[in-house]
Amino acid sequence: MSTALYPLASLAQIRNTPSRADGIPEDLELDLRAYGCKLIHEAGVLLRQKQVAVATAQILFQRFWYVTSMKQFGIGDVGMGALYLASKLEECPIRMRDLINVYDLLLQRAAHKLKHPPAPAASTSTTLTRTVTHDFKYVPMSYFGSTFYDLKDALVVAEMQILKRLGFNVNVVLPYGTLVNYLRLLGLTEREDVSSRAWGYLNDALQTPVYALYAVPTIVSAAILLATRHLGIALPSSPESCWWELFDADWEDVWSVAGYIMRLYRERSPQDQARVLGLVSKKAVRAWLDDHQPIAPRS
Amino acid sequence: MADVAGPSTPSRKRSRWDDDEDNTPPVEKPVQKRRTKSKPPAAGDTRTPERSATPTVPPQNASSRARPHHSLFVPPRTAHPPLVPSRSVYCYERLNSIEEGSYGVVFRARDKETGDIVALKKLKLEEEKHGFPITALREINALMVCKHENVVGIREVVVGDTLTQVFIVMDFIEHDLKNLLSIMPSPFLQSEVKTLMLQLLSAVAYCHERWILHRDLKTSNLLMNNRGTIKVADFGLARRYGDPVGVGGLTQLVVTLWYRAPEILLGATTYSTAVDMWSVGCIFAELLLNEPLFQAKGEIELISMIFKLLGPPTKETWPDYNTMPLAKTMTLPAPHPAQLRQKFPYITAAGLDLLSRLLAYDPDRRISAEEALKHPYFSESPLPKHPDLFGSFPSAAAGEKRRKPDSPSAPVRAADYKLLTEFD
Repeated sequence: MSTALYPLASLAQIRNTPSRADGIPEDLELDLRAYGCKLIHEAGVLLRQKQVAVATAQILFQRFWYVTSMKQFGIGDVGMGALYLASKLEECPIRMRDLINVYDLLLQRAAHKLKHPPAPAASTSTTLTRTVTHDFKYVPMSYFGSTFYDLKDALVVAEMQILKRLGFNVNVVLPYGTLVNYLRLLGLTEREDVSSRAWGYLNDALQTPVYALYAVPTIVSAAILLATRHLGIALPSSPESCWWELFDADWEDVWSVAGYIMRLYRERSPQDQARVLGLVSKKAVRAWLDDHQPIAPRS
Repeated sequence: MADVAGPSTPSRKRSRWDDDEDNTPPVEKPVQKRRTKSKPPAAGDTRTPERSATPTVPPQNASSRARPHHSLFVPPRTAHPPLVPSRSVYCYERLNSIEEGSYGVVFRARDKETGDIVALKKLKLEEEKHGFPITALREINALMVCKHENVVGIREVVVGDTLTQVFIVMDFIEHDLKNLLSIMPSPFLQSEVKTLMLQLLSAVAYCHERWILHRDLKTSNLLMNNRGTIKVADFGLARRYGDPVGVGGLTQLVVTLWYRAPEILLGATTYSTAVDMWSVGCIFAELLLNEPLFQAKGEIELISMIFKLLGPPTKETWPDYNTMPLAKTMTLPAPHPAQLRQKFPYITAAGLDLLSRLLAYDPDRRISAEEALKHPYFSESPLPKHPDLFGSFPSAAAGEKRRKPDSPSAPVRAADYKLLTEFD
């Protein structure tokens, strides 16, 4: 285990993220972060990339938005750059062409979804995607067209910008090993449902900024907290003997991480869902800002 | 850390060296002086004060909120570095170029803010087809993870105007061991060899503990300052080891030939820390002999030199020899015992034992850095010499020249010899 400390966002960076300074509201920024991470995840699945690389990419992606505004770079490009970079970091590099093809597909699919919004009658999200993919047909990039080269340039620039803006400190510590240790300590390894639920929360938390905000023990504690509370398992939680103190986590921090995670599952309006689909590129974000902030926020 | 511990010693030695050197170009002098003066305030903190001060939460907060005992493995939130973008290369003033290799150029430069002298390694990025090169990523990561007294310290990574200009900023170290060995009038003393080996082994143990293989240990990659401390440098071939190995296993195109372990020569794709230990063995031998141990021109010659010195591998010394991919292509010479004693007649039994354990055929049985540090060789007389008692030498990398002898009469070699002993 590497003991080198991974970087976390500073108080000033958290208080006023670059995107917020550019007038992007907080909830939109969080939605875009989450959507960018979903794209990374989907690309990772399609590329059969290892989860360590995908998770690393998502954490780098989250860090990036504490030093850069979404007005400057699109979440699509940066996500692509992050996945490419993380694959090298985790010693499982992928081909540029494969990554670009996959992102092209994902972006086309998003554009299609935006153009043909799913019928409002459909209730669950799974049926939604199914109806959408039914009439969506991917058109591969033209061999002689410029799409590939445009995406490739964007990819190379994004990778370099991530490195540069994070000061080349791309040290990432993933939470999975810590989760196993903690579950062992708490005597919960027999309960498979606890492990898999907590593991799932850790993965879902990758769509939130928590990995750029809190130390791994705090995040793992939050995942265990959510898992045990959902399954009705009691752990010592009265003052004097609180289980999370065993892992050097503060209650306020654990609670905040749990809040970030649970926020992901809230009911979203179709407008909110459609909003992120249209804001994958920086161009779209800029246009959105022009439309929504006629009164310039700056004095 | 080392720099924090002994800022007084170097400056004294430095200034004496300055006094000696009357005929340096005038530009160089103020640089040296400024450095010694401005060093103390910077010594406590490796980063510039401005950078570390602004973004972090003030540390008083943390202590007042005080949860008394933190686990060693969970440092407080405030101990984590903030997200800081790379600074510009223009924060440094270029002084002279030190060397140029296949990876890029190394410059000596001065931090405009603190006056610290540093080494800037410019990465070659022009013809990259796969984005930022994975080898450079590994190098930067390895350096960031391996912060150790005997590993060259990385300060930051700075960028130039375009995306193809990236520089690694490292502590400037005066010599490399290879050069030093070639200009030294006599080999290192046993006590000095022990000190150097202990430093090298502790650096290697530290890297291995952090899952980093160096894969290019050799004397020219060991830097040495004028305070008797060596620093492992050039992590250009370093990479993480362990699980996952990566696509297609590990490459055999690593380690400079003379220092390459037999398992790599025989085509292994799953080698591990033992390859570094073989290199350490070669370096140990080189320090004793004052010349590289296996000066082979090709891989075949190297293998036969190894077989000649150590005797061909047997079922005893290397049980898995026959499973090596290239073992079938080799014809082993007639079995004979190792010739180490003949090659190293003056070393003690303990020293020879350490050497033979480092140069053990079987990678599984080759001594680890951790074990080697506890070897009796280091606790028998003569004991390791304190680093402060090492001599200092003019630094070629800093552009310091040896003083020309006043009397031109003596033959070149003799003059050189006399000159060098003056600095001892």
